[in-house]
Amino acid sequence: MIEILSASALATVQDLGRTGALRWGVGTSGAMDPLALAAGNILLGNDEGAAAIEVPVFPFQVRFAQDCAFAITGADVAARLDDEALLPWWSAPARAGQVLQLGLPQPGPWRASRAYLCVAGGVDVPPALGSRSTQLRGAFGGHEGRALRQGDSLRVGSTNGEQRTTGIGLVPPALALPLHVDDLPAIRVLPAAEYANYSEASRAAFWSEPWKITAQSDRYGYRLSGTPLEAVSALEMRSHGIVPGVIQVPPGGQPIVQMRDAQPSGGYPKLGTVIEADLWRLGQAPIGSRVRFVETNWDDAVAALAQTRRWLDEVRRLVELHRGSR
Amino acid sequence: MTIARASISVLGTSALLFEAPGEMALESQQRIWALAREAQGWPEVREAVPGMNNLMLSFASAPRTLGDLEARLHAAWLVAKPLPLEGRVVELPVVYGGTGGPHMGDVVAHTGMSIDEIVERHSAPLYPVYALGSHPGYCYLGGMDPRIATPRRKVPVVSIPGGAVSIGGAQTGVSASAGPSGWNTIGSTSMHFFDPAQDPPALLRPGDSIRFRVEKVIR
Amino acid sequence: MMNSNSDRVRQLSDWLAGTDIARLELRGHGESICLRREGGRIVVAQDEPALVPADAPSVTATAASVGVFLHRHPLRDTAIAETGTTVCRGQTVGLLQIGALLLPVASPCDGVVAAMLLEHGATAGYGERLVELHPLPAGA
Repeated sequence: MIEILSASALATVQDLGRTGALRWGVGTSGAMDPLALAAGNILLGNDEGAAAIEVPVFPFQVRFAQDCAFAITGADVAARLDDEALLPWWSAPARAGQVLQLGLPQPGPWRASRAYLCVAGGVDVPPALGSRSTQLRGAFGGHEGRALRQGDSLRVGSTNGEQRTTGIGLVPPALALPLHVDDLPAIRVLPAAEYANYSEASRAAFWSEPWKITAQSDRYGYRLSGTPLEAVSALEMRSHGIVPGVIQVPPGGQPIVQMRDAQPSGGYPKLGTVIEADLWRLGQAPIGSRVRFVETNWDDAVAALAQTRRWLDEVRRLVELHRGSR
Repeated sequence: MTIARASISVLGTSALLFEAPGEMALESQQRIWALAREAQGWPEVREAVPGMNNLMLSFASAPRTLGDLEARLHAAWLVAKPLPLEGRVVELPVVYGGTGGPHMGDVVAHTGMSIDEIVERHSAPLYPVYALGSHPGYCYLGGMDPRIATPRRKVPVVSIPGGAVSIGGAQTGVSASAGPSGWNTIGSTSMHFFDPAQDPPALLRPGDSIRFRVEKVIR
Repeated sequence: MMNSNSDRVRQLSDWLAGTDIARLELRGHGESICLRREGGRIVVAQDEPALVPADAPSVTATAASVGVFLHRHPLRDTAIAETGTTVCRGQTVGLLQIGALLLPVASPCDGVVAAMLLEHGATAGYGERLVELHPLPAGA
């Protein structure tokens, strides 16, 4: 068991998302930085999609009620296990009774906002509709369909007696797969159906200006602030399926990027969609930070997806190769 | 709004969106159901998800090129015959207006009709369930009287409760759980639309119909 | 023999718990006991490799494989083990990067970090000397 010691939170149990339930109006949920979650799992010898705890607010503390191998990926939060400082993107063994504290995201070459606590065996909550991700609207999945609270206890899945390697780490993908424009994180976007309905000046502004992640941003959507984007005509649209990454522009002209907990359908005009391969970059951008959008095409977007897949496969290959060497 | 011809666009690399031409109508929606059934079997497709006279194909994995899939989709639409899914009729008692219908006044202002006229026109039809979406168990309904159409709100409301009966543009629907909404809420009902422990977890499906029964009107 | 050994360990653990000593090593005729404090508990340090003789002038940590030697984690700007600081046996004093993977370079002894023998970012061959340490006398 892992006992949650922290009062504040917004921490939720997530895996790589719930698929196949769009037909019932159920969106994917899942980690805002799926690369970090998958990598943490791979470090521990788990399936990539094992459930973990996504932590967006710090400090955050848990106690391990049992011996447990764990890894922390995502933001460097100066983690400590009892008195011992841990490296970021690193796996370590915990003994029963030890307390893990995640501190504030550290300054450094990568500004990130969410950390992932992965455990060998995965966080063992009952799957709902095939996934352990938390579905906040409708309150199911994850731990009781809600954010974690002080006093919650989470079960840790079995590793079937396998000893899992610890004491190794990874170079984060933000450094391995860097993407910046004018020193700001760059996010690639494919234009969507209503792209041409925005004025030329607005389209140019969308690509050339920085966009700030406002405080009204969360797992449902990131509200951005910048030059108001003007539509050429007022479109009243039919409700249609959308996906995380869809950029809608409500009448105020300030874009909203739908994120992991967004509704799976909507009726606002769409300027573009953040490509799946870059959702983790945006998902990690802290409130108050700025990003740049980069126009891309289908081929490059598909290639970007293949690149993240290759990175994960390479991580798995190297971790397995060095499993015995510790 | 009329769309001239079927259009296909991408939603990043995650999905393809197919929008049917013509007026939003039940027969067109039935052809969308047929198209969804056909596309669900394609290797690129994880889920074929009907919307309101449109279809989203979420990818199992993004295809290297789109041309073949787009051509196949257009061809399948041309031959798609309306799929006459027939289901149950579910009757929902609605309290119109009052605190459960906080935006009735906006619909009155936009349409120029009285509350009673709006209630009469809203509760008259039998509404086919066109599609599920928005949130778990939520049904998009067809067949609303265009005279009570009211545009989506400029600023969405942070939270309206489950059971909220709302109008958004030319559509109407009932919230299945509490959450944000850009629609105009004109009344409330009580019903359990979704249970993740059930199979299927949603109470209603495309082809079912909803009738709103006027339980009370608060002016 | 085993019973009296575990009794002895328990006695020593109890005694150690009441002090603020971080680590205790006893060596005798062909056997040794090493106890250390971990969090709030006293644990027996298992599977220790042979201790470095206390009178060796210096000891080096070497590369367990080919890789890029790093003094600091890529996300941080401070060295993992500054020269002049004291480290425990097994403590990470540097990193070896192999592609996406980071392996710890562990100190072979309790000691003081004397020097980084390879530049940050330089490629190390298998067995290459990476960090020089001056071991602490046993029991220090």
